[in-house]
Amino acid sequence: MLEAKRLDNNAQARRVARELQPGATVALGSGLPSLVPQELPPDTSVQFLTESGMLGSLVLGVGSLVHSGFVDSNGSPISFQPGASVNSTVDLAAMLRGGQVDTAIIQVSQVSRVGDFTHWTSAETPDLFGPGFSVDLAAGAKRVIALMPHVNEDGSSNVVPECSTPIDGAGCIDLIVTDIAVMGMSASGLELLEVAPGWRADDVIALTHAQVAISPDLMEMNCDSSPLNARVRKPSEKLFASGLDALSDLPNGAVVMIDGFAGPGGTPHYLLTSLRDHGAKNLTIISNTAGIARVVNFGTPLGKQAIDHTVLFDNQQVKKAIASYPVSPSASRPTAFELAYRRGEVELELVPQGTLAERLRAGGAGVAAFYTPTGVGTLISEGKETRVIDGKEYVLEEALRADFCIIRGHQADTLGNVVYKGTSRNFNSVMAPAAAITVVEVDEVVEPGQLDPEAIITPGIHVNRIVIRPIDFSPYE
Amino acid sequence: MPRGKVYATCDNALVDIADGDTVLIGGFAGFGVPRGLIAALGQKLVRGLTCVYSPGSWPEYAKPSGIGQLVANGQVEKLISAWPFTQDNGGIVKNAWQSGDLEIEIVPQGTLAERLRAAGAGLGGVFIPTGVGTRFAEGKETRTFDQDECIFELPLKADFALVKAHTADTLGNVIYRGSGRNLGPVMAMAANVSIAEAARLCEPGGIDPETVISSGIFVNRVVHVPKS
Repeated sequence: MLEAKRLDNNAQARRVARELQPGATVALGSGLPSLVPQELPPDTSVQFLTESGMLGSLVLGVGSLVHSGFVDSNGSPISFQPGASVNSTVDLAAMLRGGQVDTAIIQVSQVSRVGDFTHWTSAETPDLFGPGFSVDLAAGAKRVIALMPHVNEDGSSNVVPECSTPIDGAGCIDLIVTDIAVMGMSASGLELLEVAPGWRADDVIALTHAQVAISPDLMEMNCDSSPLNARVRKPSEKLFASGLDALSDLPNGAVVMIDGFAGPGGTPHYLLTSLRDHGAKNLTIISNTAGIARVVNFGTPLGKQAIDHTVLFDNQQVKKAIASYPVSPSASRPTAFELAYRRGEVELELVPQGTLAERLRAGGAGVAAFYTPTGVGTLISEGKETRVIDGKEYVLEEALRADFCIIRGHQADTLGNVVYKGTSRNFNSVMAPAAAITVVEVDEVVEPGQLDPEAIITPGIHVNRIVIRPIDFSPYE
Repeated sequence: MPRGKVYATCDNALVDIADGDTVLIGGFAGFGVPRGLIAALGQKLVRGLTCVYSPGSWPEYAKPSGIGQLVANGQVEKLISAWPFTQDNGGIVKNAWQSGDLEIEIVPQGTLAERLRAAGAGLGGVFIPTGVGTRFAEGKETRTFDQDECIFELPLKADFALVKAHTADTLGNVIYRGSGRNLGPVMAMAANVSIAEAARLCEPGGIDPETVISSGIFVNRVVHVPKS
């Protein structure tokens, strides 16, 4: 039989590119996945996370470098549309594990019928290979696409009942794109969804070692240039008209992170008043203090009262506070939290400040729990697991996550990249990744590209909504 | 002689490195590689090193200025990496591994970063979901939190970190450039002695405080190696 033509690497990459939704965040493994960005239009709204730590929408085949010194996962120079950010390997790993990635694309050697895979670099030497970020990609992304040749040079199938070498990902592949077919995972196993032009389903199945069902909707693979919908770029969709608009879907009983340190600096005063006006009840708030700016008066003009968490307690919206400094430094001037606590209206979970920061960081970084030496032998460790590691005692602390997070930035671009000012950075940067919906209150919104990619502290991937603090807004009442 | 944290040469900065030390070396895909420090380490008589080096799928090992020379010299006993080997790296690592002269621990890149961070942040270990059900979970404790199965990973501490900075000030505050940032910041946190090889050296104040990536508290020594 004369075999039909197999797709080349670029055609496979074009097929994968058609899977990417406008605005999606896509992480690329090494090897073939690096071919995918060039199959999207130059003004794509898809943003890529490369193994080198770059986050942004790539520009390919364009002479004007946005910034020099960027490379992709394979070490090839790349440039970005305005609005990209530079991230360290730790930050990148945190984004992957923390669930910030919609789709991961990995080149694999084998995929099993249950979606296990082995990495492409392990094909020749199964014990000496370079998985890079692929294991992290597979564990963290919402959807994982495997890219690979359907059969090996020796004619053996790469879609197998069980992988022949130790696996690098367990049950994590959602879609397989090869040079002759597209296969998906259904509840009953592998399903042949598409065949390359000129190929019959039976011919594909003959080259597939694993059992595969033919989809009733079997189609021919479409490897045309990327779909128009990837062109839609709506950079302003994160911008909300008011604080109330940005919090409109915050439900009763929500867990809400509120940044700030102690005084007025770094506190989202405007969003706090929006949350008060919104009126949601039974909130659990996670915050460094539970509102002490009002009683300590740091930096507050004479005769004024700083806006802090007090507005929520006065409005009886809080059922629980998780905080490190919930009380007033002065017993004669108790905070609104203290008064509510004494009345039995609100619960408290007391957390040391560093542990609070670390638990928030864990929440955003996909770390379920960690051992810290802080608080061993004190009230803080009561009821918690302790463990001696390498001769030192530690206490187990678990991650904190929230439904909403309100933070205070200085400037944001319309993609949600944020920079802070001075000590107002405090808990902002560590809270932003830890909530399902993060809302930032800023002084100014700028166009993508106006913030130095090297200086962005919170990449837009962590920020869902932006509100501008009204010019006439006063942080004092 | 050093002036504060500033050392005159890479060789000086490595004065107390010893046999059997664990050395973290930054770099990814040819960016952020501390070539001056690697070359100086290659001239030292230290052996039995454990090196953590994870440079991406890039023929970095084969470069005369890459850590392949340390492996070729027989200075490295163990390599910890997410990319110990790529098809086009000249075979230095592969040959040493096959002949039994080099032990290799393969760690997913994100897990490597998190283990370094745990060491730098004073944690005793972390539970993370990466690698559950795979070869990377073998022999490790697993535990379920909130229905998510996780693996217990231990901190990865080191004696030295060699990182490449774009600019350092004399107090050790560091900024990187582009893809050169990679593992530099976390490695600087994780080692007892962290050495930054800086293409530019400035006085305190020469770097905008808002943009400092590695605070001077993490960087013990600075060597000025201008771009050649």
